[in-house]
Amino acid sequence: MPKVYNWQIGREMEYPYEGVRPQKQFAMIMDTNKCIACQTCTVACKTTWTSGRGQEAMFWNNVETKPYGYYPLGWDVKILEKLGVQDISGPVYQGKTLFESAPAGERILGYLPDDLDYAHPNIGEDDSTSNMGQGAFLQVPHMQWMYYLPRICNHCTYAACLGSCPRQSIYKRPEDGIVLLDQQRCRGYRECVKGCPYKKTHFNPMTRVSEKCIGCYPAVENNRQTQCTITCIGKIRTQGFIAPPDKAREDNPIDYLVHVAKVAKPLYPQFGLEPNVYYIPPVHVPPQYLYQMFGGGVEEAIKNYRNASADMKLLGAMLLFGATPEIIHHYKVEGRYTIGYDEKGSELVRVPLKEPIYLRVVYDDKYQTHRSNIT
Amino acid sequence: MNRVNRLWAAAAMAMAVAPAFPAETVLQAIRMKGSGPILDMESAMWKQAKPVNVPMLPQMVATPNNLKPAVSELKVRAAHNGQWLALLIEWKDPTKSDRIVVDEFGDQVAVEFPIQLKSGAMPSPMMGNPGGRVNILQWRAAFQHDIEKGEPQVRDLYPNAMVDLYPDQVLRTTDARPYTGALGVDNPISRPKASPVLDQMAEGFGSMTVKPDQHADGKGVWKNGMWHVVITTPMATESANAPRFEPGGSSVAAFAVWEGGSREVGSRKAWSSWVPLKLGK
Repeated sequence: MPKVYNWQIGREMEYPYEGVRPQKQFAMIMDTNKCIACQTCTVACKTTWTSGRGQEAMFWNNVETKPYGYYPLGWDVKILEKLGVQDISGPVYQGKTLFESAPAGERILGYLPDDLDYAHPNIGEDDSTSNMGQGAFLQVPHMQWMYYLPRICNHCTYAACLGSCPRQSIYKRPEDGIVLLDQQRCRGYRECVKGCPYKKTHFNPMTRVSEKCIGCYPAVENNRQTQCTITCIGKIRTQGFIAPPDKAREDNPIDYLVHVAKVAKPLYPQFGLEPNVYYIPPVHVPPQYLYQMFGGGVEEAIKNYRNASADMKLLGAMLLFGATPEIIHHYKVEGRYTIGYDEKGSELVRVPLKEPIYLRVVYDDKYQTHRSNIT
Repeated sequence: MNRVNRLWAAAAMAMAVAPAFPAETVLQAIRMKGSGPILDMESAMWKQAKPVNVPMLPQMVATPNNLKPAVSELKVRAAHNGQWLALLIEWKDPTKSDRIVVDEFGDQVAVEFPIQLKSGAMPSPMMGNPGGRVNILQWRAAFQHDIEKGEPQVRDLYPNAMVDLYPDQVLRTTDARPYTGALGVDNPISRPKASPVLDQMAEGFGSMTVKPDQHADGKGVWKNGMWHVVITTPMATESANAPRFEPGGSSVAAFAVWEGGSREVGSRKAWSSWVPLKLGK
């Protein structure tokens, strides 16, 4: 197998194809601390893309409760168990990726979910790790905890679905790095469903071929962020493009958050796919669990995130989440504002770093009454 | 060596170790009366056709593969009527697999012919090779199911499925098309079936292409733990991508089989080397 460089694990690794990075790479950042699992993103995606026949149980976007929620059932714990215990302590990953763990005759270590695994998209919803004991009081990190993990296709740099397909029906677009599954070429072998560790390729039993998240490419081609991003009521997401660390631009909010401020981390980087959806880890969850899920550096990410009110560039990048439906390519913090620009440098949006507060007098002379809300 | 060359080297090696047929093994296509496609597998004529037992080997050249395929032998008979050639293929399969959902796969069998028979330059029996194009006629149990019982609806696969509304119930056909996935782009796996056999061509692994003109036909019956499948194809067509057969002539045929119950699909299959084929006068 050819060798490719995966910056998330800090080393070269095996991949079925030569490594060619796209001109731009689709990326998304989600702040898990702000997600309330309202599923508005899920519904926006479903009504836009997957309301057809055979797509009844298919969610390109889903939000699950961690640690006990999964769609499909047990997707991450099943593949983690197959991969076995790995050394993820250092900046250079010493363990094996899924490609390097491929059994004889296979291209990748994977498993095919059971049909019924897709029947419980809300399993474990709001379940905490255990009950609170008598007299317990809250500590940080919490001793009992849960958090919400919104998920879409990671449009991986080294996509396992793409590497698994014996027909080359899956391709990565050179212009934006979006991974697409050719609906005409696919023959429904389900090698991609088996190979993708995130289980984000889905089988449609009506058309008998597989389908996946298309990164809302018709929107992205028109400089608009994806449906799941622009409909998010909690403004937890931003979608744009990411560069590899050596080409990172500080004025690209996604590059800044991932490469400079290092507050956003990839999901299960040890799998070796270089996924391009990044998560700001939940601040209240014990780091042991977060190491496994987001790799090393989670404590630094949480520390920097907590310090955002003192770091104007970080705050500025985060305040652009959900501020405009357009894709932000550049940003800068100027005075009291953070300003987002499009690819050509035209201003898209201007967000105050501090929300203006207006105080009203407690007693309203006109109506001769006391105000209950004065801000 | 690039990936493709490596695959060909491996393929050549696999063929070298494959058991060669005894020289006398020839699939004799008997001449029968009649015209048109030969689909009647109950016909007494088949009793006159001498069966050939074709050993099936694991596909182990391309990944992914399955080193222990479920079917190890096919029993094949051949006949022709001067216009159409037919092969009756039978094998043991204790489970009939024709329901397709994410974790269920269908039984399939395929016969392959070189499109041009040049002595000394035989295409690879493993789906041909660049420049050595082959014609592959693939019968699918799931297609047979659709033809006999209709395309399954969601409620056929999941009797308790709850659905409010589909786009095609409220939108015009053209507007609803984007919601139909592979069906909307006429994927041959998804579109309504006219035959349980797909008429295809290939020039090596991963290059299988459904021909725009479909000529082959067939029928499969599962009875008492055995599949009985007849695949029939015209002996001559206008197509440049179809082999030409003549009464008294000869060619070769190779086979592949997938046992759906063992999750065999795509490159996870059993294949055979070329079997000499002779057509009666």
